[in-house]
Amino acid sequence: MMRTLAIAVTLALGTASLAAQGVMVAPHAVFIDHRLRSGSVLLYNPGTEPVEVAISTIFGYPTTDSTGRIMLDTLRRDSTVSALGWIQAFPRRLTVGPRERQTVRLLARPPAGLPDGEYWLRLVIAAQAGRVPITGVADTTAIQVGLTLEVRTIIGVNYRKGPVSTGVTLSQVTAQIVGDSLITRSKLERRGNAAFIGMIRETLVDSTGAVHAQRVGDSVVTTFASPIGVYIAMQPRLASAIPQPGLPRGRYWLRYEVVAEREDLDPMVVLKAPAVRDSVRLVVP
Amino acid sequence: MLALCVGLAARAAAQAGSSVSADAVVVTVGMTISTLRDLNFGTVIKGVPSTILPTAVNAGEWQVSGSANAFVIISFTLPTQLTNIQALPGSTMPIAFSALAAIWRRSTNNPVGGTVFNPALGSVGRFGPPANPTMYVWIGGTVAPAVAAKPGIYQGNVIVSLVYQ
Repeated sequence: MMRTLAIAVTLALGTASLAAQGVMVAPHAVFIDHRLRSGSVLLYNPGTEPVEVAISTIFGYPTTDSTGRIMLDTLRRDSTVSALGWIQAFPRRLTVGPRERQTVRLLARPPAGLPDGEYWLRLVIAAQAGRVPITGVADTTAIQVGLTLEVRTIIGVNYRKGPVSTGVTLSQVTAQIVGDSLITRSKLERRGNAAFIGMIRETLVDSTGAVHAQRVGDSVVTTFASPIGVYIAMQPRLASAIPQPGLPRGRYWLRYEVVAEREDLDPMVVLKAPAVRDSVRLVVP
Repeated sequence: MLALCVGLAARAAAQAGSSVSADAVVVTVGMTISTLRDLNFGTVIKGVPSTILPTAVNAGEWQVSGSANAFVIISFTLPTQLTNIQALPGSTMPIAFSALAAIWRRSTNNPVGGTVFNPALGSVGRFGPPANPTMYVWIGGTVAPAVAAKPGIYQGNVIVSLVYQ
């Protein structure tokens, strides 16, 4: 039995290279209205090989650790804002054929008397395709090592019942130049009964009001923008780079604003909220 | 295959907020994670640790396509032991991932110049601009075959999770 399995695996692993394998998940955020109580996610396999997909749900929302790193907090499973117990996804396992699409349906059965508000869970789409590309297995004395890579796409599901509102408060904004980087922190606390989905925008200006560019990856921008989801509270640390040759000595202001706008989401699902702003001074000695 | 993925993503980005037609399949803008290459140590020698840097040609690699300029949380589920699938149960090999074992980079399929991070801690990556809303992630690692390691194929899984905010 073991030998048969080994031969089968050996044959399966015989390919020298792995073609790109993956599945498209759309949309990347699901908003369910209490009146409809259902939603759907489309899976599309753009590849030439079937992809096995497993669907699961978890409770979690973005937050930050002590360093300001944004992470998904999945620990508070008994939260009153969790929809984990009453939103289900179907099917749980499926195979998406080459250039095929399949739909995952989300069905909500909220408990009676559910208070108005927003309830959350996360949909986990795990896809695995391809095999470890090990070659040279004809040598039975050799040690071959390979790791298969699996991907999980985790998207938010927000269930809204009745009137929902959101907002955010901004405090403790700090900014400093560390090496060639501009590092900022702030404290964001949600208001209302729904998550604040929006953007943080940072603009660096000098004492004359002139805007100084920032570099993010390979791009140079005049305003650094970062999507943000404030579900409870967070203190995000953001970093951008100052393009060479750096900032001349002097005083600068960092304009920091948080707005309820998102280019990557349907405006219909982004709850309106007033923008909040602050400015902090920076000195380059 | 790669060209298909990139092409699809590019068209999706060009019509962000609307629908996009791809091979007669209409989909909304979403996120695609594709495994471009598994992490392959090939043949290793008993008693001699073997390291693959994330910049190496045999490092594991993913391509992610999504909304232009959007940020995603990158996290890993990493194995500590690999299992010999040809030997009796219990035949394993330790594997480790250093604090510099992972890289992400927006738009450009080249790990050199990307952002290095600790896969155990994860990172927040960012898709490229509208012209190329992609991101690449690489991972390396170190295996340490014991002197008494049994011959065979040692396997494990690395899981990358990408979380939209």
